[in-house]
Amino acid sequence: MSRGALPVSVHQLAVDRHRQRVLENLSCRFQPGELTAVVGPNGAGKSSLLQVLAGVLAPAAGRVEIDGNDAAKIPAGERAQLCAYLPQAETPAWSLAARDLVALGLLPWGKPADRDNRVHRALAQVDAVEFADRPVTRLSGGELRRVQLARLLVGEAPVLIADEPTAALDIRHQLQLMQNFRQQADSGRTVVLALHDLALAARYCDRILLLEGGRLRATGTPEEVLTPDLIGEVYGVSCEFRWRDGVADFVPLDLL
Amino acid sequence: MLNRSNAILALMVLALPLALLGALASGPVDIDLAGALTDGWHAQGSDAVILWQLRLPRALLAVLVGAALGMGGAAMQGMLRNPLAEPALLGVSSGAALAAILLLYYGLAWQAGWLLPLLAIGGAFLAVACVWLLAGRGASASRLVLAGVAINAFLSALMALALNYAPSMFAMQEIVFWLLGSLANRGWDQLLLALPFVVVGAALMFCGRNYLRALSLGEASAASLGFGGRRYPLAILLGIAAAVGAAVAVAGTIGFIGLVVPHLVRPLVNQDPGRLLWASALAGALLLLLADILVLNFIGAQELRIGAVTAFIGAPFFFWLIVSARRGLQL
Repeated sequence: MSRGALPVSVHQLAVDRHRQRVLENLSCRFQPGELTAVVGPNGAGKSSLLQVLAGVLAPAAGRVEIDGNDAAKIPAGERAQLCAYLPQAETPAWSLAARDLVALGLLPWGKPADRDNRVHRALAQVDAVEFADRPVTRLSGGELRRVQLARLLVGEAPVLIADEPTAALDIRHQLQLMQNFRQQADSGRTVVLALHDLALAARYCDRILLLEGGRLRATGTPEEVLTPDLIGEVYGVSCEFRWRDGVADFVPLDLL
Repeated sequence: MLNRSNAILALMVLALPLALLGALASGPVDIDLAGALTDGWHAQGSDAVILWQLRLPRALLAVLVGAALGMGGAAMQGMLRNPLAEPALLGVSSGAALAAILLLYYGLAWQAGWLLPLLAIGGAFLAVACVWLLAGRGASASRLVLAGVAINAFLSALMALALNYAPSMFAMQEIVFWLLGSLANRGWDQLLLALPFVVVGAALMFCGRNYLRALSLGEASAASLGFGGRRYPLAILLGIAAAVGAAVAVAGTIGFIGLVVPHLVRPLVNQDPGRLLWASALAGALLLLLADILVLNFIGAQELRIGAVTAFIGAPFFFWLIVSARRGLQL
């Protein structure tokens, strides 16, 4: 399988969790070079979709295709080299040094010779070199999140999947992170993020996937999907989007 | 690179043969150690027989059992992502112990030297199989622990029953002493019986080292790194059952090694659950050998059981753990 640009698509996907259907009849495509935000209210099925894409969760029906190949037939180790995934909450069990935690992201490749360099590069990308040697249990929530992001990036997988990557980050690091994902997409990677922050989604993403109650409600460019009418219907919130030079200003106003 | 941690590990490697010599020199009778060593395996002198047929297998058994318990503890803590896990948690030890007790109960144990260890290993595998089936498909670590606690409780109840209805005081004493753990009167038979199980178990655990590393991020992240499915936890569990089951089978239940040793060496391997496996095996072997030297040099009417010694090492360790946690250090 080629290691370049990899489109990912899901076909007629259904996912069960605790014997409950959480995603139904979902079909969509994630293109290389595109940054896609999966948005929707709590419980819409964002995390489940991401986990199925990452191969963590097996679909109840339908399939995931990576570059046209059925993902279920790709060996787990090879698939891990293609898709990197960062879950919403990841609590390290041991007090590893930050650089050792980042190195775990290279496990699908065994023990590459340039490991230390790659770990350093990934830490630099998220502005975390200064605490490379600190045990992760002594990092703040935001610092830990950045180290975990470095773990996501270190393998330079063609498909990046992150669940709520901006949660727990201050505004500077939120912007830095989104710019980083933007660069990753611009360099030909397929990037899928679950986001709650619609302003960030509108500003940095090429495509928005709006989920509601386990179904795909709308998909398209931010201008197409993030309209006050649609957001009002799905979230039950009145809001305003002001578009200025492609930068969206999103203001939630009141409960509907 | 030789930093402080690696230096301590290297010292432990060097200390092991020295402790082995110390164990060979220890015992109720004084022997001419150098003479017996140079006489060789086939010598007929009493010193040589004591050395080659009694002390050497016992010392090597301490190394083997200590290594199995230490590594099993490290694997268990890694798999359950919990520093307080120990092999006994999943019923491995009590499965082996119950099988042994039943044999002692019916007085069949001494019909053949290999019968008790073999059945005890079977008991360990049976207990792990029960835990695995009870936990069910795709069980999380916490569900495995719960299933282990349940099976453990049941096995303990059966053990209590066996003790309660022990046919004679003699059988009861034998059971109690066996439960305390001992390396006394063990020979090459037991060593050679346990060896293949420990080696295969250690190999299985070692094959799962990258799974344990990935698991330090959590189960979902481990799955996304290519370590999903039941294959890896099953390999680790079977490895623990083989190694720890064999250790318990030949030496009885020796507590605290599997719990304390991984704790002690975790800082030396930068908390890496993969390297922790062999480091715990090394430290477990050294600790049990030192404990056995203590037992051998203890002068008293009754034999001091090695399980009691390790418990005496283990309990203060927890005091120290709590005190250091109160001082704000890492648990």
